[in-house]
Amino acid sequence: MDIIVCIKRVPQTAEAKVEIESSGKDIVKDRLTFDINESDTYALEEAVLLKEKFGGTITVISLGCSDADDTLRIALAKGADTAIRIKAEDFDELDGYKTAQLLSAVIKDIHFDVIFTGCIATDDAYSQIGATLAELLGIPHATLVTNIEVIDSISHVHRELEGGLQEHIEIFLPALFTIQTGINVPRYASLIAIKRAAGKEIKLVGQNEISKDQLLLNTQIEELFIPPVAKQVKIITGSPGEVSEELAGIIREKGLI
Amino acid sequence: MTNKRSLVDVINPEIRDFLVEMGAEDIYKCYQCGKCSSICPWFQVGTYDFPIFRLSLETALGMVASSEDKKELEEEVDKLYRCVGCEACVDQCPHGINIPNILRAARRLLVDFGSYPDILKSIVQKIHDVGNPLGEEREKRSDWAKQLNVPNFQPGIEYLYFACCIPSYDPRVQNVAQATVRILQKSGCSFGILGVQENCCGEAIRRIGAEKVFKEVTKANISSFESAGVEKILVTSPHCYTSFKNDYPEFGANFEVFHITQYFSGLIEKGKIQPIKRFDKKVVYHDPCNLGRQNGIYEEPRNILRNIPGLELLEVENFNRSLSVCCGAGSGALWMEWEKDERIGDIRINQLVDTGAEIIAVACPYCLQMFEETIKSMELNIEVMDVAEILWESIG
Ligand code: SF4
Ligand code: SF4
Repeated sequence: MDIIVCIKRVPQTAEAKVEIESSGKDIVKDRLTFDINESDTYALEEAVLLKEKFGGTITVISLGCSDADDTLRIALAKGADTAIRIKAEDFDELDGYKTAQLLSAVIKDIHFDVIFTGCIATDDAYSQIGATLAELLGIPHATLVTNIEVIDSISHVHRELEGGLQEHIEIFLPALFTIQTGINVPRYASLIAIKRAAGKEIKLVGQNEISKDQLLLNTQIEELFIPPVAKQVKIITGSPGEVSEELAGIIREKGLI
Repeated sequence: MTNKRSLVDVINPEIRDFLVEMGAEDIYKCYQCGKCSSICPWFQVGTYDFPIFRLSLETALGMVASSEDKKELEEEVDKLYRCVGCEACVDQCPHGINIPNILRAARRLLVDFGSYPDILKSIVQKIHDVGNPLGEEREKRSDWAKQLNVPNFQPGIEYLYFACCIPSYDPRVQNVAQATVRILQKSGCSFGILGVQENCCGEAIRRIGAEKVFKEVTKANISSFESAGVEKILVTSPHCYTSFKNDYPEFGANFEVFHITQYFSGLIEKGKIQPIKRFDKKVVYHDPCNLGRQNGIYEEPRNILRNIPGLELLEVENFNRSLSVCCGAGSGALWMEWEKDERIGDIRINQLVDTGAEIIAVACPYCLQMFEETIKSMELNIEVMDVAEILWESIG
């Protein structure tokens, strides 16, 4: 079974103080660390589990600048056989649609049975790539996959719906799945695999291989901003008389009575 | 390492060379005597198999964290993160082999490839992003000192007091930093703090294997210390002491570093502070690994305690000073969760409780946190105090 996994290197912002850069269209990234997107690690692990069961190959693809090579190398150490980086620096501004076009331009020349992506990127949260890429390649897809079993070219897939519901669907391969976190337990890389990955070549694809002419940008970021604090908490202190007087004043002022 | 695979299959000189390159060069000195294993706290725990003497050999054979089986590899990585960096083994090894350093070589590779426990990943991330392992806001780093009138460090001030992350933020341990400051003020010491310009010293993350982030925080600290004109540093944590004194010089730093117990002991000797109030308690002193074994500071904390009227100082016979057993919190282990019967802290607490003490005196914020947690989980009736807290009670 030949599997393709699309991965993305994203800034880690859970603990960091996020600031908007002067263009107003991106965040300041120079103080941030980067890592593989969370749901992509589960997508990669799902690929490795399928490969362990059925044999075949895993190709990881990432659209990114040279730093993304580190992320691809981690994927190689965790079980991928081949890594391809689409040189983001060659393709100017990007959005979900253009990213999917670039991925499909590379993937159309590779044999595959399954494509995995993470269900959402933690940086832009578009959740577009999987479905758009499947459409561009003309293959079926399922999103938010929490379980997958392949029997004779048919995949039995569980999807996570709102309210704790699960949907069970069957899809003929080749197909694309966007993987939800928690579907498996991602593995560590062994030192042997790390050593092997360190010496592996990462194939680069740029504007010489993909014509920029037909690439379309569907969306443009107008502005990125930190929302103003919507609710404010005011703690009123003082004697019960003072507190109730101030409280009554606020209620009156806001026109609530 | 399981013995399911044949030895010939798993010998891997490339991995050995890779690890030697990362700092495991001591492996060739090991002659497998096993002394390290007999002193390792895991030997006393007894329920977790950690034959550390085999590690040099396994490294020399390139067999560390090398299984390609997911489950086996998980166990091997878990094993690498069991070492609490107490250096009891280093102290005992006839050839002076630094086993935690050998382990760290493998940890560094695993960290670079995102292959280490998630909880430690989040600690490294927090230290990188906000400068402390608790994930607290950088702006609040000096909140503990708000009521105390501590000046910001500036040229002309003699000492930088570096409180360490845990006393800066943890509501219980803040009391240690506050007691320290009160004693310093009483003695007339010229000192200031750097507050928001401080980062975690990085000692734990270097030992976790996150060398790149360690270097980043180290360079940031060195530059803010130097640009503020810092020459002498007083520290509460023996881990900061190790960092500033032993690790930072690798990056060109040249600060004079004093553990607060050294400084306080000196103040008592010079008569600048006088513990006069009685402290009628039986107190056992626990030697923190980083203070005692790793930096040779055994006498000064004891000297402080001996000078406190009414205090009866107890010792853990056979397991004190260089033979002190780790509290179980070093090298990132403070944040790790192990099975109930696999905890080094439990062993040490029992030794301390068995002395009949009412109070465990510590001189390290990690030991303080670890012991308080352990006491809670074991439902014991003993209190933990930092030496500075006891001293302040006797002075204040
Ligand atoms: S004590 Fe030193 S020489 Fe003896 S087995 Fe341990 S590391 Fe090797
Ligand atoms: S440093 Fe301590 S825990 Fe680590 S191997 Fe040596 S004795 Fe054991």
